[in-house]
Parts: sequence; structure tokens; C-alpha cells
Amino acid sequence: MDLENQKRVKEYSEQFGPENLVVILGAAEGEAAGLAAETVTAGDPTYAGPLAGVSLGLKVYHICEPEMKDEVDAAVYDEQVGMMEMVLDVDEIVKEMSAIREQYTKY
Amino acid sequence: MSKSAVIKGTSYVLVHTPEFVIHNGTTQTTERLVNPDSTYLAALPNHIRSYEDAVAYPPNQVFLGSKKPEILSGIEMPWCNTKLEDAKRFGTYGELMPEDEFYGLVAICDVFDLVILETDFAAMVKEKLAGHPLIGEDLISRIRDGISRDNIETYVKEEHGEPLFHKGAMVGYVKRAHDIDETLSAHVLFENLVYKASSVLALLHLIKNTDINKGDIDYVIDCSEEACGDMNQRGGGNFAKAAAEIAGFVNATGSDTRSFCAGPAHAIVEAAALVKAGAYKNVVVFAGGTTAKLGMNGKDHVKKELPILEDVLGGFAVLIGQNDGINPEIDLSLIGRHTVGTGSSPQAVISALVTEPLDRSGLSITDIGKYAAEMQNPDVTKPAGAGDVPESNYKMIAALAVKQGVIERTAIPDFVAKHGMPGFAPTQGHIPSGVPYLGFAREDILEGRIDKAMIIGKGSLFLGRMTNLFDGVSFVVRKNRGDATGDGTSEAVSDTSVKKPVIGIAAEDSELGSDVVAEGIALAEKRGFIVKRIEGVDCHKKMDELLAGKGIDACLTMHYSFPIGVSTVGRVVTPGRGKEMFIATTTGTSSADRVEGLVKNAIFGIIAAKASGVKEPTVGIANIDGARQAEAALLRLRDGGYDIRFANSARRDGGVVMRGNDLLAASADVMVTDPLTGNLLMKLFSAFTTGGNYESTGFGYGPGIGENFDKLILILSRASGAPVIANGVEYAAQLVENDWKTIAKDEFAKAKEAGLASILGEIKERSKSSDKNTDTSTAETEAEVAMPPKEVVTAEIHGIEVMDIEDAAVSLWKKGVYAETGMGCTGPVVLVHPDKEEHARNLLAEGGYIHQ
Repeated sequence: MDLENQKRVKEYSEQFGPENLVVILGAAEGEAAGLAAETVTAGDPTYAGPLAGVSLGLKVYHICEPEMKDEVDAAVYDEQVGMMEMVLDVDEIVKEMSAIREQYTKY
Repeated sequence: MSKSAVIKGTSYVLVHTPEFVIHNGTTQTTERLVNPDSTYLAALPNHIRSYEDAVAYPPNQVFLGSKKPEILSGIEMPWCNTKLEDAKRFGTYGELMPEDEFYGLVAICDVFDLVILETDFAAMVKEKLAGHPLIGEDLISRIRDGISRDNIETYVKEEHGEPLFHKGAMVGYVKRAHDIDETLSAHVLFENLVYKASSVLALLHLIKNTDINKGDIDYVIDCSEEACGDMNQRGGGNFAKAAAEIAGFVNATGSDTRSFCAGPAHAIVEAAALVKAGAYKNVVVFAGGTTAKLGMNGKDHVKKELPILEDVLGGFAVLIGQNDGINPEIDLSLIGRHTVGTGSSPQAVISALVTEPLDRSGLSITDIGKYAAEMQNPDVTKPAGAGDVPESNYKMIAALAVKQGVIERTAIPDFVAKHGMPGFAPTQGHIPSGVPYLGFAREDILEGRIDKAMIIGKGSLFLGRMTNLFDGVSFVVRKNRGDATGDGTSEAVSDTSVKKPVIGIAAEDSELGSDVVAEGIALAEKRGFIVKRIEGVDCHKKMDELLAGKGIDACLTMHYSFPIGVSTVGRVVTPGRGKEMFIATTTGTSSADRVEGLVKNAIFGIIAAKASGVKEPTVGIANIDGARQAEAALLRLRDGGYDIRFANSARRDGGVVMRGNDLLAASADVMVTDPLTGNLLMKLFSAFTTGGNYESTGFGYGPGIGENFDKLILILSRASGAPVIANGVEYAAQLVENDWKTIAKDEFAKAKEAGLASILGEIKERSKSSDKNTDTSTAETEAEVAMPPKEVVTAEIHGIEVMDIEDAAVSLWKKGVYAETGMGCTGPVVLVHPDKEEHARNLLAEGGYIHQ
């Protein structure tokens, strides 16, 4: 996750409280989604950004996960995400995301 | 309205710059600032590739045009594990220049005495450049004599010079041009000079590739992501004119176009519009490479024990000129635009760039032969977690096709394979942005493999922090519509202005049923072809009448008895590289003599290939009985002056005789074989993906070709599926449009002039004498037997050996039965009047020609 985004996540977490924050990802594949999810839960695995060594334990989902899909108006979802949903390996993303949440999410 | 501008040629260059990776790539310069003792910086030098390895790296050979993108599909990733043995510095479109020579070119491009080289290094570089085919003494003399190494070290230390390294040693430096102006610092100037020098290299190769007079270029557009200026005008610009000056374009003016990675696509649209409007006649769009992006993903490559794959600068140049009736057009009516209001979801972006312009012109996603968006080499991006960028673009386009109902969801992988290609461009920002395919696109269109290609440029504007918007623009390159059109108006208008050929289909014998034939016809019509279905039991009679009366220009049928001397040239898509290949021949009999038949088949194949738009087809002979004799005869024909281009086997020992591997890889454009082997190959190539009974790929068994045979009849198998039927229509239409009759006439005339008749005569003489001892039959010639009155012959008698077929017919004449010989689907046939069939069969059985 790039350093700017790490900074924003950290600031929001301080401003609104980590329990009130959900991070939604749009990464194009499982590994990248998993790394970003790890960054906002366990901390930056590359030890390069503001979240290095900071375990926020935030709730984090990928937009293609069923939990998120159910939250969105079906027509809007189809217009904005429908095509990418077809392209991405959703099962792989769900697997990675679930694994990270089980391990590190505190809320 | 004036005609569309055309793409007259392209160039693509690379520069191997290992020292720039270490000293100038931003990943490395940032690391050196933040973490100077990092394990990455320590490990980096061990991951730098040699020049030879960079040359032998398959994606680099594709970028230079020496190999087609499709070869990458057949190489296991990571591709850096494969070193191409036949790799060369100079390719079809350009070269991969080594670092030392490039320093010379940087010095050549310096007009402010900013680049200082070390004495011995300068002399060595001058000497090496003297051997460069495109860099003349006028340019080399611009390199000034060097100074001593001690002086260089002093200047670097005391005057903030940017040191230049080669093989670990300091070989020069770049001066700063101002004491406090950051935009004129030595670091920025070096980056800009490197950019300029790689641009000049691309321009020099473009001149060579297009043969244009430098003075005829009147406008140049630079489309990179670099900026030059001073602190009062940081992006003042005009790299374009700066590079044009060194390249010697004395009559050119120019300007720079910027839009991050979308720059090249914008620039080409602008160039095409300038030419079409008549403002300029010849416009060159170009870009060089960037030092900043070298080793960008180096950390991931080192972590995964890979070499630093981002060790080359990239550059390209495209010449856009006035419509010459030949080169592919840039169709300005088919521009896709990402507007301010489009939005930034991938779906919105791809819709705006791909489907919106196609919808506007009534075209479907599948009407575009090839798409090229972000052509980044996945060997570089995958280890860095960025995935396969071209593949995800193709999947997105396929997904839109699914949403539009054009293809089934299960067909996404097929769509990606057919309409896409593996990425092969260095990750140099603007360089991979769609344009790396332009060179191949021009060839693919000129050689008739595709009609249209869409080039898509996309740019991440938010990186500049001025807007959160995304950007993108696309354009379509299409086959030249000839003198009558090329006016950039819509497809529908062009249809009415040129008479399209009418292709008949008499396909009453389909094993797959009438619906499949109808589906094939619908598919062909969707592609814009005009098809006339001929039905009824007497469809062949109607077909002959329509052909004679010009009611149709050509006809497809599933069965036809061609006379001896005529055989069909099939056309397949080979599985190895997706390349088309002509199989000469697939049904019919060119000659009763095997070797003579093979030689004739080669000529028939050349005719079919040329008439399908392959300008200079290469010819290979399948490794079958008689191949060597046929090779000898064709060599004699060539020595006699017949312009035949022999293919070279892809196997290590090469040669014109093709092995099984060459069949899969289409090492030859025309594969010469006997018709029975050819027939078998057609079925394999057409049906291997379906399990056999449904032929789904390729163009069918093709047109019957023979001297003086002037009807255009193409054969389809009874098991031809809808796609093959549609492709068969396309094959037929191409032959008509390219005036196959004249091409055939010319080829036969040229072969005759080269001594074909005497060569064939000798072949037959030789096989006769070798048969003499074994053949005791009393062959009788036609001359000795009076021909019975001619009558309609439609009854086929099968089962006669091809060598005996003429004798069989003559034996019937002797008994007063009129007979003709021909080629049925499964072998030679004797044709007689239906009323006399039984009688003829008895006579032939008595003569031992058939068994009853």
C-alpha cells in the first residue's frame, strides 16, 4: 500500500476511532489485496510506511467480496464493478481477505 | 473530404544501461538517500544483466520486431530464463544499443558543452560508433575530445556534476547549467539528454525503415513524460525540435504533447488530423526512454532472485503521412475518448475507450482484429505484484463483450488469445502505451491477417497532483480502403462506394446440418461480406451458371470434381503461434506424377497466398516422399529466374524441408504437400480443438487452382462449422478483391519463363524410366483412341489408383463410353453419364481398375 494511503488510514483511525473504520480495497488480485489488508490490520509488512509496526486491526474488505456487494445497490454495483468482477479471480481474493481478517482484525 | 492519414512505418529501439539503473533509477536513488546501507543496494550489482543477456531476452527481441509477440506464449515464465540463440542487436524495427556507444550518442546530442567524457573513453566510443550503420561522421565529429579522469573527479566534487559510469568506472560527467536552478541541475540535464539521445536513435531508425528523405518531414511531435525548461518555465518543452535537429530534419517544426502514458495515443491522433487537414504532409510522432524508471521494480526482482529486468531504455517513432492507397489508415471517425465526465471506474474507462467509438460506427467488439492497450512486459510486473497488465486489459474488453452479449462468458479466454497478445514492452511509462504494437499492426494489416487494430493509450493524471482524473484515448488503424474511399467516413458509406464481391455457397452436403451453414453465412454477413446461398438438388448446376453469368464472383461448396491439373490450397491457423499457413494442396490432383505435383502445388500455394494479401510468401516443403526431388526442381526454377522465397525450418539444422514442428509453428507461409497428406492436415488443424466432427478453425480447403482454370470455386469440408464457413467467405472475397486471376496468370507466366516446362518434363522422364522395369501395363494414349460423343457426366466411380486414372478413362473410350477424370473428396474418380455407370463399372472391373 502506498505511503500516502497508509498515512490517510492512520489519520482517519486516530480521528474517528479504529472501531468505526472500514477499509474497502479494489486491488486487482489476491496477493496484492492480502498485502494491503495486512497493512491496515497487522501493520506494513514492508516496514516502509507510517503503518510499519502499527497494528490497527481494522475491518477490511475487498469490493468484490459478498459482504460488500450486498451493501451496494445492485444496479450501481453492476455499472461500477460488474465488469471487473468478471475479470478478477474473486474466489482467490475472498480466500486471501478472509485469512487476513481471521488472523488480524480486532473489530 | 480529404483522405485519412496512413502509417508509413515505425521504428523501435532499446538501450542497455546497467549503470543508469544503479545511479539514476529513482528506486535506487531514493533508497540511497533513505537507507544507504540497505541489503538491496548491496545485492543490486549481482543482479545486473550482461548486454548479451539483454539482447537474448525474448521480449526485447519482440520489441525490436525480430520475433512476433505470439512466440512469448510458448515460452515458460520467467522469460528471463530463456535466452534466444538467434538473437541479434539489430532487428526489423531497430536495435538494442550498448551503453558505451550510447554515451557517445548522448555527447552527440549535447549542444551546450554539458557532457564531458574521459579521454580514452571518448576515443574508444568514437571508434565504435564509426562502425554504426546509421551514425555518420557528421554526428561522430560532434563528440569532443575528453579530459583526464582526475579532472573529472574534481569537477564532480566541486561543481555538482553528475558522474557517468561504465563497467564500474567513472568515464565522464554532466555539468550543471545553473548554480541554483533545480531544473538545470546536472541530474535533470543528464536525464533530459538521455531522453533526447534515445529519441534521436529512434528517429534515425525510422528514416532507415521508411526510406523517406529527411527533408520531407515537416512536423515532429514528442509524446513522452519528460519536461525541459528552466525555473521560469519548467515545462517550456520542445524536445521534438531538439531531437529533430540532431536527426537532420531541417524542414521540420514541431511541439510536445503530454498526458502521462496516454501521450503517444493523443499525439498520433493529432498527427493524423494534421495530415488529413493538409496542414503538414509527413508528421513523425516519437518518444525516447527515461532513466527514472530503470530498476523501478528492482527490489522485487532482487527479492525473487531475478535479474534486474528494467535495464533498458525504450524508444519508438512513427511516420504518419498522406494516404498512398496502400498503408493502413488511421480512422479518425473511430476515436475513443475518456472525457472529464467519464468517471474513473475501470468499466467506465474501457467503455469510453473501446465500446463507445465502435457503437458509434455500428461495429462490434469482435470486429477489431487485435487490441493493444498497456503492453507492459508481465515478466517485469508479475514478480512485483502488479499482475499481467495486458492480459487484464484484454479480459476487461472481453468482459464488456460479454455484457454486450457479443460473446459467451466461457469464451473470454478465447477472446483474449485471439484479440490480444502477450506484453513485451519495457516498463518505460509512455513506451508500452499501445504503440509498441503499431509496427506489427501495420504488417498484420498489410499482409491481410487482420483488418483493424485498436490502439489504446491510458494515463494516470493524478500522479501530478493537479487532478484526480484518469485519461485515455484510443484510435483504430484499418486496412487501406483504396482510392475510392479512405475518406474517414463511416463503414456504411464505404460499403456503397466499392462493389463488394458476391460469394455463393452451395453447401447441400453439410454433415452438421443446414442450421450450421446458415449460422456461418450470418457470421460472414456480420463481417460485412455479401453471401448468396444456392439451394436445391441441382445446386452445382446453378452454381456453374451463376459463376458463368457473373451473378456470383466465387463459390464455396463441399464437393466438386476438379479436372486433373487443378487442386485446392487450404488455409489454416496453426496452433503454435496462431499464424496462418497455406497448405498446398488439400484436394484435387495437380499431376499424376508425385514430384511434378509437388512442384505445381508450390506454385498454386504461392498464387493463393499472394492473392490473399501475403506479398512475399515463404515456401516450405513438408517432409514427405518426394520432398527432396521437389526441392531440387524448385531450386532450378529459382535459378532460372522465378522469384520464390524459401522458408527456413525452425529446427536447428534449418532447410526448406519442413518437419512436423514447422507445421505447428507455420515456419513457412506456404506448406507444400501432396493433396492426400494436405487433406489430412486440414482436418487436423481445423478440428483438433473439437474432438473431430466439427471443424471450427481455419478457412477451409480453399480455391481450386490450375493453369487456365478460371472459375473461383473453394472447397469446404462437409464437417465445416460456422466459423470455418464464414472464414471461407472471407478467403474467397480476398481472392476476388486482390484479382487472383491476374496473379495466377502472372505466376504461371513467370514460372514458364524460368523453364518450368523443361524441369517438369525431366521429372516425368525420370519417373517413367524408373517405372519401366516394374510397370508392364500397356498404357494407351488418348491420341490412339477416338473420343466418343461428349455427354453430361455426373456419376462418380471411385476406387481407382491415381496413377491409373487416365488409362481407366481411355479404356472406357475404347468401349465407346464417354468418360472424364476428376478428383473426388476421397481420391481420384472417373465420371460417366449416370445411365452408363453400371456398364462402365463392369468394364473397369474387367480391366482390373476397380474391384467389385
